[in-house]
Amino acid sequence: MEHNVTFLGYIPILPLIGAAVLGLLHVGTCTRKPIHEKIYGVFACIGPLLSFVLALRVFFTLKGMPEEARYLTQEAFTWFQVGDLNISMGFLADPLSSLMLLFVTLIGSLIHIYSIGYMSGDKNFGKFFAYLNLFLGSMLVLVLGDSPVVMFVGWEGVGLCSYLLISFYCEDTDNVLAGNKAFIVNRIGDLGFVLGMGFLFWAIGAQGFDFMSLKANAHVLAPGVALTVCLLLFVGATGKSAQIPLYVWLPDAMAGPTPVSALIHAATMVTAGVYMVARFSFIYAHVPLAGEIVAWVGILTALLAAIFGMFQDDIKKVLAYSTVSQLGYMFAGVGVAAYSAGIFHVFTHAFFKALLFLGAGAVIYAMHHEQNIWKMGGLKKKMPKTYITMLIGALALAGCPPFAGFFSKDEILFSALATGHYGIWIVGVLVAGMTAYYTFRMIFVVFHGEPRDQEAYDHAHEAPAVMTVPLIILAVGALCAGFLNLPAIFGGHQQVSHWLAPSLTEHHPHASLFVEIIAIGASVLAFVIGIRAAYKRFGAGAEEPQFQGFAKFAYHKFYVDELYDAVFVQPYKRIGDAIRKTIEPSVTDGPVTLAAKVYMIAGAAFKVFQVGYVRVYALYMIIGLSVMSLLLSQSLN
Amino acid sequence: MIQSYLTVSVILFCLGIVGVISRRNVFTVFMSIELMLNAANLSFVALARLHESMDGHVLALMVMAVAAAEAALALAVVILLHKHKGKLDTNVFSLLKG
Repeated sequence: MEHNVTFLGYIPILPLIGAAVLGLLHVGTCTRKPIHEKIYGVFACIGPLLSFVLALRVFFTLKGMPEEARYLTQEAFTWFQVGDLNISMGFLADPLSSLMLLFVTLIGSLIHIYSIGYMSGDKNFGKFFAYLNLFLGSMLVLVLGDSPVVMFVGWEGVGLCSYLLISFYCEDTDNVLAGNKAFIVNRIGDLGFVLGMGFLFWAIGAQGFDFMSLKANAHVLAPGVALTVCLLLFVGATGKSAQIPLYVWLPDAMAGPTPVSALIHAATMVTAGVYMVARFSFIYAHVPLAGEIVAWVGILTALLAAIFGMFQDDIKKVLAYSTVSQLGYMFAGVGVAAYSAGIFHVFTHAFFKALLFLGAGAVIYAMHHEQNIWKMGGLKKKMPKTYITMLIGALALAGCPPFAGFFSKDEILFSALATGHYGIWIVGVLVAGMTAYYTFRMIFVVFHGEPRDQEAYDHAHEAPAVMTVPLIILAVGALCAGFLNLPAIFGGHQQVSHWLAPSLTEHHPHASLFVEIIAIGASVLAFVIGIRAAYKRFGAGAEEPQFQGFAKFAYHKFYVDELYDAVFVQPYKRIGDAIRKTIEPSVTDGPVTLAAKVYMIAGAAFKVFQVGYVRVYALYMIIGLSVMSLLLSQSLN
Repeated sequence: MIQSYLTVSVILFCLGIVGVISRRNVFTVFMSIELMLNAANLSFVALARLHESMDGHVLALMVMAVAAAEAALALAVVILLHKHKGKLDTNVFSLLKG
């Protein structure tokens, strides 16, 4: 079987070319008459759609291979070679990356199509799509990279694009600050990734630094080194995937246009951390302690974000915290060494979270950029398509059987229970109930009851087809994606887990039917209790509550932002200020000013000779030539 | 015999130098430069005769060609300078004074 192919490189290249074309078109025309939006729209969607077709080709090529040798590679060129480090621009497609490829390109394409409707009339229409294409291209580099270094290129690319897109409406200072925050917080995580990569290279990099060689050499890693590598890489993952303590950027990232939120939360960026941990499963699997830490950080993040999500009044913030919470589940999954369950949750989450964000975007679009849920209400009648699709997304997110989220979340909780992580399982079930509560709080307040703002309600209308069609496709995904990994208890064969098995180093826990039924029963019970609580409180319409005590504390997100500001940002600023006032003028600026002064004095001395008369210069020349001739004749003698 | 030629050449060259340094009229300076070039030519030719070689002659011819080209350029520059300031006094052009 031929493993070297030439079409892998095209998958990331196509959106990147699209980004270049759109960017040049925008730069070339932004000061003159703008190009018609349709032209931008067509150019923007071609790249992602072609990538999706190629991703399908990758998938079917892999499917045609024997199970234990399912991989495709392409080495485009040697990037650099320093000592033992030989890095080529190489791409690797195995079952894990092919699954990621499929949903990243599919959901990315749908978001592109949706954005044509959402962004219509924006004066930076072309710029937006250039960034969006660049974002998708970077994510595909990340997914396809065959070594940690190439992966890091994509890793940084999505970081850059998130910054550009979050601060897209850059006329408003708050948006720019949100973009800065995302970028800086991610940079902290990136440092962890770079250090982890360095350690890994130092330990086993000399025999080859691509994933396949690393996997083959992973067994020689000393336990201490492996733990260090795992934890450092996880710091990188907490930055990108918004886990404690670096989750603070994600809610602020809502400042960007809504399709960007969908792209960041569903298809790209935040899933990168989970993907990376699954990619390095060959190291994590041998360090149970690292997995334990990952799982606990994940589940605590899930809990914290769910608490915050219950008290938010901005529709996008509710969804943002639900993403943080679901990402926590994914990390809990990969932490208890159920990598396929974690990745499967990434997969189903991509569908329903993209759906919820795009639906929220349609609501915001209809309400003329109003995001406060307490200004909405009763939109069910005005926007039936959006309502039904969002309801499906909400059911999937809340974990209602048989929607996609139920199967993937249950798989994670079951794995936690079956591997004996009871604490994680209990918190997980609790969070599942809270998820159902805050999701349906949002649905009830926005779509049910009476309109709270009659004027806005009267102007509300269903979104155009270019926006509703992607919603419907995603709704089908949110409804059906769970059946792809149906566990045996429901008569399924866990196709996704089997598909992923060759890429991951995991042992499926064996548990009795009893444990499985307990896990499922607890999840369903949590869902029912959560949705009942939400219905009682908000089902018939409710007024905006005045928060007191704990609720107020949670509404202000436990003042974590303020805490970070006081503990890290302000001292850092003060240190910088002190350095600027003391060290900078004397130590760093001193030599520079001194050099300038020396030259000024020397210049003043030599100035006397510059009289400006041609004949005097001629005299200098003659004197100089005479002296030179004299010296020359003396040396000849 | 050769000393006489070289003496004349040196005298001509020094006259040229004194002209360039002391005179202020652009044309006089220019002519002084030509004088220096021709002093050099005289030495070339005299020494070529002494050594019975053609090298000196060739060089003399080349100096003449260069001098002719330089004259064409220099005169154009002088015309421009005159248009600019209306004078041919070199002291007027002292923009490079430090």
